[in-house]
Amino acid sequence: MIMDLKPATPNERRQYYREEWDVNDVPEFIRETLTQREFGFDHIGRGPNDRYRVFQNTDYLRKFMRVRTPFAAYSSVAFYHKPRRRDGWIKAELVFDVDAKDIPIRSCGCDNVCEICLKQAKDIVHGLIDTIKGDLGLSNIYVVYSGRGYHIRVLDDIVMGMDSDVRSQIVKYLVGSDVPRSEYSSHGMKYNLEHFTIPFGYPQVFTQRVKQALLNLNLDTEIDEVSKDIKKAVIKHRELLSEDQWGLFRKEIGPVRYSRLVKGIASLNLTLVDAKVSIDLKRILRLPSSLHSGVSMKSTLIKNLETFDPFQDAVPKFVYERKD
Amino acid sequence: MVSISFLNPLSPEGKDIVRELGSFEGISQDIPELRSLVTHNPSQEIVDDKEIPSNYLELALKRMEWHIKKKHDREFNSRRYAFLSDHAITKYDVISFYLLCQAIGVKFGPNSRETRVMVEAQGDIIQERLGKLHEEESRLIVEKSLQMLLKKDRVHWTFFQELLSTRKIRLTDLILDHGELILDREDFMDCFGPKIKHRNPSSMYQLLIGDELKELIMIKMIMQETEDYIKQVHEKARVMVEPNPILLELADEVEEVLAEPMQYYGYGSGRSGGGPMKAGPLNPLAFPPCVKKALEGIKSGGRNDAIVLFMTPFVSYARLYPDVFRMNISKRISDQDPQLEVTENEVLPLIYEAAQRCVPPLFDDQPQEKVNINAKLGFGMHSTLKMEHEGETTWYTPMSCEKIKLHLPHLCRPDDVCKKIGNPLSYYNRMIWEVRNLDKEGPDSSDESSSDNTKDITTADTENSTKNDNKNTDGTNSRER
Repeated sequence: MIMDLKPATPNERRQYYREEWDVNDVPEFIRETLTQREFGFDHIGRGPNDRYRVFQNTDYLRKFMRVRTPFAAYSSVAFYHKPRRRDGWIKAELVFDVDAKDIPIRSCGCDNVCEICLKQAKDIVHGLIDTIKGDLGLSNIYVVYSGRGYHIRVLDDIVMGMDSDVRSQIVKYLVGSDVPRSEYSSHGMKYNLEHFTIPFGYPQVFTQRVKQALLNLNLDTEIDEVSKDIKKAVIKHRELLSEDQWGLFRKEIGPVRYSRLVKGIASLNLTLVDAKVSIDLKRILRLPSSLHSGVSMKSTLIKNLETFDPFQDAVPKFVYERKD
Repeated sequence: MVSISFLNPLSPEGKDIVRELGSFEGISQDIPELRSLVTHNPSQEIVDDKEIPSNYLELALKRMEWHIKKKHDREFNSRRYAFLSDHAITKYDVISFYLLCQAIGVKFGPNSRETRVMVEAQGDIIQERLGKLHEEESRLIVEKSLQMLLKKDRVHWTFFQELLSTRKIRLTDLILDHGELILDREDFMDCFGPKIKHRNPSSMYQLLIGDELKELIMIKMIMQETEDYIKQVHEKARVMVEPNPILLELADEVEEVLAEPMQYYGYGSGRSGGGPMKAGPLNPLAFPPCVKKALEGIKSGGRNDAIVLFMTPFVSYARLYPDVFRMNISKRISDQDPQLEVTENEVLPLIYEAAQRCVPPLFDDQPQEKVNINAKLGFGMHSTLKMEHEGETTWYTPMSCEKIKLHLPHLCRPDDVCKKIGNPLSYYNRMIWEVRNLDKEGPDSSDESSSDNTKDITTADTENSTKNDNKNTDGTNSRER
């Protein structure tokens, strides 16, 4: 079903929170740490200005939502001793925000979000999770559909105490924002190893991210110092990448142009996730189960990313009842 | 056989050497054996007998001097410091290392330029010493040191949290598998051997990890331990008795050694030249591309960060204290602008104009951001700049390029100069210097050159100071999704 992503009316919000939403839809990982988190709300659709809220138990949260039926609801990724004052910071979830609207190389070209770019966001999320698990060895991972994209929330204790600087290094690793070096030396001899010849570690992550970008690239994609000619060549030869024929692909593009191309993509990759969200230790994030009133979709904790379809699983009932 | 303490004075062996020495008594006395070792080193070149270190303190200073000269003196002659790579000096060297750390810890503290140079010098010296060893011996000692430092065979990458946080190593440099750092050949073969096609896995191991990554990790870990030790000394010194006067004297001498490059060699690359960056009217022509772009105004979404977090520190420092990174002394606005006239009449108007050019204009819907600007200038969360509020918050230093790439990627459109710097303020200083130099080269200004006899330029320190920019992501500006 193709949805019209239009805002929810105050009546629709009321209907949602009174008839459909259940406080038990708030994921357990949030409910069990409720008293340590700060909550924030947007009541009129101009950004959350009602912040520093704390709920002593889920019942208070339930009543608040039913009565106030907020335009948007958020909770902190940080745990505090004194959440009401945002004081006594204990730790914070490690979060990655993939917003479909901000994907640097989008194949759809839509103005807001659509099925195509949401699908692309999901592919990116898959890639990131593979790296979070496979390379970084983290496992306590939740994925939430945010209404316009996805939030990956990592709750392994081993990373929750880390500062912004380490988090920024993690982001760079995951998105592939540095071109891996290609010159290596041993016993005084120099050797050349391109990233795609190394099937593990960061070079492999980088190769995957570059592949994802090149397969979606079109002539209008702006990449620093990459001319239209190079983009044309990429489009012409990119079927080689589907078979991982990187050496041939590089040869077709030309080694100098290839290195310019991957450099440009590396810098675009930095915006695959919104890094600000990942390095901010006190951020508030849309509350899973709450309504994204801007697009009339439910922010939803995802049980199975493979089968999750936002247009099936995140649509509130009132949307189906709309007359127009 | 080389002792581990020759590379890592903080190892148990090194600690034993210090324990044996016992006290500071006799620390400045002549040590004939040390003199003899230096003079009998076959690679040693001695121009003047005064160059021979004859006690622990002199050896300590030689360590620093070697690092500074190697980095800045174009006529540096390594043969005059050959004794530093002779492992026969180990026990003296270890003591001199501890003396340096303690002197710097007591007088300058962990966030000082002296600490930074000491930590760099230690990394540099280890590398130099490893380079002089036979390959087999070097490999053996690195293995042994790593075993000691890592404590177990396999470590999770989170073990390197501190090294990552201080950017001594990059996460992308590490080869990881399910969170574990792969260093050992067998582990490498186990994890990745089956994945490697068309290449010899063994030579791939040698290239990707081999000796290089192990050395890197060992060196950076020792550097981090050195930094931690200085911090520890500093914290103890704050609560304990008067420091030993010998340490304070040594600290003064270290300061002199470090001041030398500013006087003689020129800072940074040694090629840039120029004079100290004095505060002066802003020159928009020297602004880096990111600042020029932000001045044009930002679309909703990145406005707050661009104006409050990025422009405010940049404009205020560029106008009032462009030398902040090289001087490495934190100041308040009023130290540079006692009446706040420049701040009120030049700095704030420029920031406000940029805010006005945003789409929509920033203060139209978020007038409270003016308070945040005042806070970033060090005047607390108040709507006006008042001297009585100064110090309630700190004057934020300009964001590094790295941070801008993360926070405000749309502003970063680097040009050729950007490639040489790590902070937009360095860009500004470099361009100001170049403009000034061009002026000097003009036909009418030959008499000016004689007045400028101090040589230095600010970029080198700034590049190393990315860690210096404020951690402005963890609090007041938290935004919502």
